[in-house]
Amino acid sequence: MSLVDIRDVHKVYKRDSFDVPVLNGISVSVPKGDFLALMGPSGSGKTTLLNLIAGIDRPTRGKVIVGEKEISAFSETKLAAWRATNVGFIFQMYNLIPVLNAADNVELPLLLTKLSKKERREHLETALNVVGLADRMTYFPRQLSGGQEQRVAIARAIVTDPTIIVADEPTGDLDAKSAHEILDLLHRLNADFQKTIIMVTHDPKAAERANHVLQLDKGVLVESERRDSAGSHG
Amino acid sequence: MKFAKLIIRNLFRNKLRTFLTLSLMGAIFFFVATLLSILQNFETAANSGEGQNRLGVQSAISLANPLPLSYQAKIATIPGIAEIAKLQWVGAYYKERKNFFANFAVDHDKMASVWDDYAIPADQLEAFKADRRGAIVGPELAKRYGWKIGDRVTLIGQIFPFNPETTIRGIYKHKFDTSSFFFHFDYFYESTKDMTGSTVGTFWVRVKDPKDMARISQQIDDMFRNSEYPTETFTEKEFQQQFMAMIGNIKLLFTVVSICAIFMVVLLAAITMSMAARERVTEVAVLKAIGFSSGTILTLMLIEFVTLGLIGGALGTLGAKYVYQMVNMTEVTQGFLVAFGVDAKTIATCLVASIVVGFLAGGLPALRSARLSVVDGLRKVW
Ligand SMILES: Nc1ncnc2c1ncn2[C@@H]1O[C@H](COP(=O)(O)OP(=O)(O)OP(=O)(O)O)[C@@H](O)[C@H]1O
Ligand SMILES: [Mg+2]
Repeated sequence: MSLVDIRDVHKVYKRDSFDVPVLNGISVSVPKGDFLALMGPSGSGKTTLLNLIAGIDRPTRGKVIVGEKEISAFSETKLAAWRATNVGFIFQMYNLIPVLNAADNVELPLLLTKLSKKERREHLETALNVVGLADRMTYFPRQLSGGQEQRVAIARAIVTDPTIIVADEPTGDLDAKSAHEILDLLHRLNADFQKTIIMVTHDPKAAERANHVLQLDKGVLVESERRDSAGSHG
Repeated sequence: MKFAKLIIRNLFRNKLRTFLTLSLMGAIFFFVATLLSILQNFETAANSGEGQNRLGVQSAISLANPLPLSYQAKIATIPGIAEIAKLQWVGAYYKERKNFFANFAVDHDKMASVWDDYAIPADQLEAFKADRRGAIVGPELAKRYGWKIGDRVTLIGQIFPFNPETTIRGIYKHKFDTSSFFFHFDYFYESTKDMTGSTVGTFWVRVKDPKDMARISQQIDDMFRNSEYPTETFTEKEFQQQFMAMIGNIKLLFTVVSICAIFMVVLLAAITMSMAARERVTEVAVLKAIGFSSGTILTLMLIEFVTLGLIGGALGTLGAKYVYQMVNMTEVTQGFLVAFGVDAKTIATCLVASIVVGFLAGGLPALRSARLSVVDGLRKVW
């Protein structure tokens, strides 16, 4: 059964007076527990597609269904609440809040829940343990390396135990070694914690770790490749 | 509140900018608190109700025209008058022209009775009465020139060719007038009668029952209407009402100036707050992506900006309160401001104004942040 169902999705941006079609009728299903890599040339619409799945943008036409809910029909407010419990975000530039330390950054999504302070503490410690940074809890983002920042960001993405994790070029700004660690971590989240991950990447090495690769070009799906044995090394 | 840490950290994330903003707001609210307190001070003085049973009698022609001394006995015959005293404006100074203060020659034996709102210790009053050249001075005046009881003080006349050589015999207490100088009319008269003739500037009448004020005032003026020296009798209340009318204009002026100052603060704070909000576009987009609603973002930002305004307002207002507690404003203003301070009402007014400043200045930037589309906010980064 698929977790994410995209049905004939179109996305058109309006720039000044003329339309810029970005996605032109995309249909795809992502099963629960999948680790999907989205690839394609720059400007092909990868980020746009990811944003639709993550519920921070809405299609011009077509439906986005996640976990049997048609999120493309949700109101702004409903979408925000939905994201809080269902989506974990990982960004290329980590995007931690600079004035908060690692623990406080990871706690942020929990502030929107009804959890008590003690429960929040337990959750964030668990998340930081998963990414191996329990000893860096009181560090501020500027005191961490890029790789460590991205791991804190991953902890923040998983702390609410979301249904789906979206990552837009999570290794795009990292050196090879750190990138490798992040990919290991994502693979582990998928393999050990059964997290559904959708990752946009330019890096074929990163895509190799996924078990399913989609190629986008000029807003249409040009290739879909399933490699169920992927990600076993590392 | 679980968001407190985020708000406080954001508030102080750019320390220099926060410091400058707070300094500016503090300075302006110090200024506004000062203006409002001066107004408050005037109003309190005018509404004090002092001298409710006192009438002043002056020449109907002009204040510079004196009245014959013989009027004193005539006026005293009117029923309902408790006491009548002469009061002469002397206009002398101490040592240098810049050392100027109100100084009067007064009927020494009637002073305590007519001006019963001036408190003089009994022994000092007796000593004053007993010494023909005795003087009674206000506490601020004594403090300003370091005068003590027993000190010899010579004033230099300007209106009259007469330098009163006096000895301080007493220091009075009064709610508002803390820097006047009184000495014996007899001494003044004996030294100036060749020039002034038998005249005095004003008489002051204490009426037994305040209800009779209007009648007595009328009777006095009627008595001299067709004489060479007609009088004009006024109540201190009328005096105060004139004063209040004058304050009315000052009040308008001060209010307008205060509003301008606050408007300026709103504009400057709005610039700072817009900068703060603009810097955080990506962060806000991330928070919204994570699931923070527009309402939550708006609330967080508004709390931050209003807090900034409130801190600035509190710094300025409480700073003013503290400064005017520490600094003797009566001395600094040479007796113009007496019992001056920032009261609770003024503090409350300023704090409310500072909250309004926060809302006005921060409202738009906060709203813009709250409305930000996540995708647009992130596009810079993604
Ligand atoms: N808000 C917008 N307004 C107008 N055009 C937009 C907007 N957002 C994206 N586009 C356009 O849509 C197209 C696809 O953008 P998208 O970010 O999805 O590409 P991408 O595949 O993620 O590229 P990259 O690999 O460079 O990140 C681009 O041509 C872009 O200019
Ligand atoms: Mg992209």
